[in-house]
Amino acid sequence: MRYEAKKDCGRGAGGKGCMREPIKYVFIWPAFLVVLIIALFPLIYSLVASFQAFRLVPPRPPRYIGFENYGNLITAARFWGAVINTATIVFIAVALQYIIGFAVAVALHAKVPGERLFRVTFLIPMLMSPIAISLIMRMIFNSTIGPVDDLLTFFGLPNLPFLTNPTWAKGVLITVEVWQWTPFVILLILAGLQTLPRDIYEAAEIESATPWQQFWGITFPMLLPISAAVIFIRIIESFKVMDTVFVLTGGGPGTSTETLTLFAYQEGFKKFNIGQTSALSFLFLITVIVFGVVYLALLRPYLERSR
Amino acid sequence: MARVTLEKVQKRFGEVVVIPDLDLVVDDKEFVVLVGPSGCGKTTTLRIVAGLEEASAGTVRIGERDVTQIRPGQRNCSMVFQNYALYPHMTVRQNIGYGMKVRGEPKDEIERRIHDAARILGIGEYLERRPKQLSGGQRQRVAIGRAIVRNPDVFLFDEPLSNLDAKLRIEMRTEIKRLQRRLENTVIYVTHDQTEAMTMADRVAVMNKGVIEQLADPISLYERPANVFVAGFIGSPSMNFMPAELVGENGGLAVKLEDGTALPVPGDRQTRYGGSVGKPLTLGLRPEHMSGGQNGPAVATLTPEAVEPLGAHTLIVGHAASTKITAQVDAHYACAPDEPTPITFDMNNMHLFDQQSGAAL
Repeated sequence: MRYEAKKDCGRGAGGKGCMREPIKYVFIWPAFLVVLIIALFPLIYSLVASFQAFRLVPPRPPRYIGFENYGNLITAARFWGAVINTATIVFIAVALQYIIGFAVAVALHAKVPGERLFRVTFLIPMLMSPIAISLIMRMIFNSTIGPVDDLLTFFGLPNLPFLTNPTWAKGVLITVEVWQWTPFVILLILAGLQTLPRDIYEAAEIESATPWQQFWGITFPMLLPISAAVIFIRIIESFKVMDTVFVLTGGGPGTSTETLTLFAYQEGFKKFNIGQTSALSFLFLITVIVFGVVYLALLRPYLERSR
Repeated sequence: MARVTLEKVQKRFGEVVVIPDLDLVVDDKEFVVLVGPSGCGKTTTLRIVAGLEEASAGTVRIGERDVTQIRPGQRNCSMVFQNYALYPHMTVRQNIGYGMKVRGEPKDEIERRIHDAARILGIGEYLERRPKQLSGGQRQRVAIGRAIVRNPDVFLFDEPLSNLDAKLRIEMRTEIKRLQRRLENTVIYVTHDQTEAMTMADRVAVMNKGVIEQLADPISLYERPANVFVAGFIGSPSMNFMPAELVGENGGLAVKLEDGTALPVPGDRQTRYGGSVGKPLTLGLRPEHMSGGQNGPAVATLTPEAVEPLGAHTLIVGHAASTKITAQVDAHYACAPDEPTPITFDMNNMHLFDQQSGAAL
């Protein structure tokens, strides 16, 4: 029997012989348990909590309420406000990061004088703590003591309510996001640019293609796969923006700059409404998954062409 | 009229002089191959003609036009690269049509020329495929297709066959040659493979250290190499070189090898070499101009180290007059390693070179 089992494994005939070896469970279970405890348990626990009326303060025994938490959220104006704020910040910030990042990467790839110094300098924002950056930005954009308004005053222009007006506050949040995360785009696009073969550009040059035509005809389509990945990573990351908003505006004025994560934080750690927060987290997860699937489905034909 | 003229062209990379001073004229509709070992400057020369490298000095003309300062796209050259340089994200059709598209040519004209090129090169059925879905030979055809649709003044080929296997290489070189005859274009072709150079070229420029050692038709290169470098580079297996001296013997001249073996110089060459008696020389003789046994007056003893039967003939690698040589003998010639055997030199096909300058006498 033992011999037969071994033979089956060797032949790879559906692994029937291996399947009959019970010893494999001994090796599989520890890993499975670790995954279960670390990843699956909290996920399942919060999924269960999302269907319960579950508050820590005042403490009450959890009670199953079905989809009520989800219903409450979907009908709440504050939730939709947070969705719109998050989407606005994410899409505008990522679009700007991509455009600026791509342009800077192309410039750095062109071996401008001092390009090495620029490369390092441009990466610094990404390496800094978002909290530290947000604190500095809060001072810079402060309406009374901030240097930006000082500058406007110097030129005889009126002071602007950078952090106290909803539109300006969103603008500041987007600016900070762009400032901090454009280097990430630069880094990846630059890496992509360095993998492009030189001879195809020479072929294009011999064909009389202008630099602009070379960019749109060769560089951009060939970097489409890496661009798709960069944008995807940045969008997923930006959806989770929390620290910057927390420090800079605290979601205000009112809830005009409140993002989904900040809303979840307020519900979970201010009101200790675990059920509602869990439901919110799951709605957030569903949104990100739906977005990801749609994004990849839309890009698929283009990506296949570039592969 | 697309004659290509390089006048006193130089190329320096910083302190390094790659091409010291190069003059080359490629006539209209001529197929010239630049051949030489790696680093001899042949690709740099081609890239200077294409405009991908700027000449440090000198003039490049295509036809009557001075193109030295003109950018590559305006020189009306087409280039086929060693690695094909196809755009990986485009189909074969888009690859071939890209140049015409960026130059703003009408769509139906682009389509017509793509189909013409596809028909000539037999790639019609691959037009919707991408380069990665093609074999090496098919990719090279697409690269050539991209070059011919432009109807250029000059075709530039940069080692286009070096990535193909031996069989395909032979097929493609015939195809390229046939294509050139059909399209009647001027071609400059770079290769390090002397067989490729000999079989394809109207004239071959043998380059070494940025200098054209000899520019001649293939047969002249083979029969009358200008110097030791050309003699050693052209021909396979390479020519044998032996240190020698010209001496007077029995009222005539003889080539005396280091071990004292005297090989009589044929009567019709006696006058030509008369002035070089006593000078240190190099005797050059191709393996195919040797034969096994004693079949003539010029016989040396060869001690074989290896015997390589190739079917049509056999190569004997060994030492004669303390010099390593290769002799090509009849396939059935009986010899064995370490057993000295007489080898007859065909002195009518010998070459003598000045030992110092390397120039042919």
